[in-house]
Amino acid sequence: MSVTKLPGTKLGSKEMYSLPGLVESAPQAKYDFSAGPTISRFLQGLKEGKILGRKCPRCGRIYVPPRDYCEYCHVALTDWVEVPDTGTVHTAVVSYISVRRERLEKPEIIGVIRLDVPGYPPNGYEFAGLFHRLCVPPEEAMSDEVIGMKVRARWKPKEQRTGSILDIECFEPVR
Amino acid sequence: MRDMSWNKHGRLHDIITWPEREEVDKYIYTPGLHGLELAKALMDGRILGMRCSDGKVYVPPKTFCPDYSQGELVEVKGPWRLQHYTVVYEDLYGNRLEKPIVVGVIKPDDADLGMIHIVNVDPSAVRQGMTLRPVFRPKEQRKGTILDIEYFEPA
Amino acid sequence: MGMVTNLFVKDRVAIVGAGITTFMRRALETPRELAWEAARMALDQAGLTLKDVDCVVIGSAPDTFDGVHLKGEYLADGSGAIRKPMTRVYVGGGTGVFVPVSAWWHVASGLCKTVLAVGEEKMSPAHPHPQYVFRYIWDPIIHRPLEPNLIWIFAMEMRRYMAKCGAKKEDIALVSVKNKRNALDNPAAQVAANITVDDVLKSEVLVWPVQELDVSPVTDGAAALVITSENVARQVTDSPVWIEGVGFTLDNQHWENRELAFPRYLNYAARMAYRMAGIERPWKEIDVAEPYDPFDYKELHHIEGLMLARPCEAWKLLKEGYFNRDGELPTSPSGGLLGVGNPIAAAGVMKVAELFWQLRYEAGKRQVKRPVHRAVANAWGDLMQAGTVIVLGN
Repeated sequence: MSVTKLPGTKLGSKEMYSLPGLVESAPQAKYDFSAGPTISRFLQGLKEGKILGRKCPRCGRIYVPPRDYCEYCHVALTDWVEVPDTGTVHTAVVSYISVRRERLEKPEIIGVIRLDVPGYPPNGYEFAGLFHRLCVPPEEAMSDEVIGMKVRARWKPKEQRTGSILDIECFEPVR
Repeated sequence: MRDMSWNKHGRLHDIITWPEREEVDKYIYTPGLHGLELAKALMDGRILGMRCSDGKVYVPPKTFCPDYSQGELVEVKGPWRLQHYTVVYEDLYGNRLEKPIVVGVIKPDDADLGMIHIVNVDPSAVRQGMTLRPVFRPKEQRKGTILDIEYFEPA
Repeated sequence: MGMVTNLFVKDRVAIVGAGITTFMRRALETPRELAWEAARMALDQAGLTLKDVDCVVIGSAPDTFDGVHLKGEYLADGSGAIRKPMTRVYVGGGTGVFVPVSAWWHVASGLCKTVLAVGEEKMSPAHPHPQYVFRYIWDPIIHRPLEPNLIWIFAMEMRRYMAKCGAKKEDIALVSVKNKRNALDNPAAQVAANITVDDVLKSEVLVWPVQELDVSPVTDGAAALVITSENVARQVTDSPVWIEGVGFTLDNQHWENRELAFPRYLNYAARMAYRMAGIERPWKEIDVAEPYDPFDYKELHHIEGLMLARPCEAWKLLKEGYFNRDGELPTSPSGGLLGVGNPIAAAGVMKVAELFWQLRYEAGKRQVKRPVHRAVANAWGDLMQAGTVIVLGN
């Protein structure tokens, strides 16, 4: 385009907060999310120390996290199966910032764990997996060896489990 | 066709619910181009409107006109008249107000459209078309928002 | 290149005008005013007025960023939609390309002749930080208890891409260097800069491997397009830019169940758009591209999803200068999101506007150094889910 000055009025940070006519408003929204029957059952399984998957009666695919319908067959999923709490690391990262974009004192190590659930081709595009923490030190998380490393869930002691994804503390290397 | 109805395999007390809070602490809204001028004028005890190419004057000013051109800022002096009104008995949360409030669309004679504000008059005394005037807060309390006008009262 | 017959529609659809505001961290303008500024510039460029516009398409995030609910209605008068049919669309960041896609079908269906398509985003009102707002897109039950920051998911994808394809941080950082440098010639740019790979590698580590200079900023901005039927286009301009293909796809939300090194959600949308445009070998037939680049590795990811390079090959071609403005297949000549800014719903519209100017040889200093006939832009949204693609031709 031939114009060199585009519309728009920039404000610096101090400028913005000293403007007359600023209006502040805090939302009052509070929510109660229902986990639904499927995830509720999944969470119950976590409380019992098991990872549950749900199976499609037509194609046999086992979904973790469980769904209500099979994505391919569009049929309601039925059977619940317990799947191994072991897997391999698909990806791992080290976070130095909190959810509020503040600096963390102790970095968080998280990743995607591909669970050892049968029925998926070994190098296929899709697999059953979980997004969770990894209990490895940051240096190990950043090394090449961590991708594909075998891991197992470290469960919280029975009395500390409440029926939440945090009932698994993290996934630790199987050494 | 398989029926997915969950009341066959789940019961209400088996469903886990998760409480959650709002997603931000607060929003801060900038006044905008004409809004900034209006804010400065309000702090000065004046009210601005916007004149468009079709001759109409809009209050408050909104920077652009219906034909998309930029409007021209003009001062609006009144006299103000109550075009429409309603009487409010409950607050945002449904609690009964001690004293009912009259809220109305108030239009100055030197503009074509009006603005919404509170009318400080007893509900039994309010009349459509009645003449009003704005009452500003003391100068040191003004922040440049529409609340710098405390209310409109019968002139 | 012979004329491509589009089997799906009788009347071709063209873009005849584009406008953008400056992209900035904090704007004085209200969201309505931002939309108005961009839309007016687009209409002025097309030589049309609001009276000529039949329908309006608006793309903007719901209240999460700017604290205004009922966005479509709120933006309506800023977007010229009063007393006109108005459609509001939103698929996360994918909205930017979904806005012209939606405008396309308004015209292609015969319902409207001239559509004003506006994308707008004002992120600065959200406090403490707009990034905090993104926590809302995670699943409330199985993701949020882990307190994830949005950048985590990008870091995980980037790591997987690096591990699977053998790309190193310094290879990927070249995208940031290229785009920020391209943006120096863009008057709208918020974070244009002449940086080196070293600068990227020395910047603050946010979520390893993602560092500060790998990420696009938080932005307020708007962009608009005027999209018309062939008849109107021919009356209004000598060089309409035809919309030859559109594609859009949604994948599931369970990104923890997929290979993160390849964007399947984009590939399906790209195939849809290429099929419509009659393009069989995009890596040969596309002359210039604007792949969505909220992060530097994402541009490579999307280049592969758009089939402009083989999976895991894009970073190698990048090193050879293949994607530079004077390269074989220039990407993000505008400066992209990394250089210009990332107002969520408007960023993609900015990219399409750039291709519009490129295809008319009106991009000034940013014009790529080779003849251009066919271009593709994509945008991505939500949790590695929404892919939107548009193919343009002159």
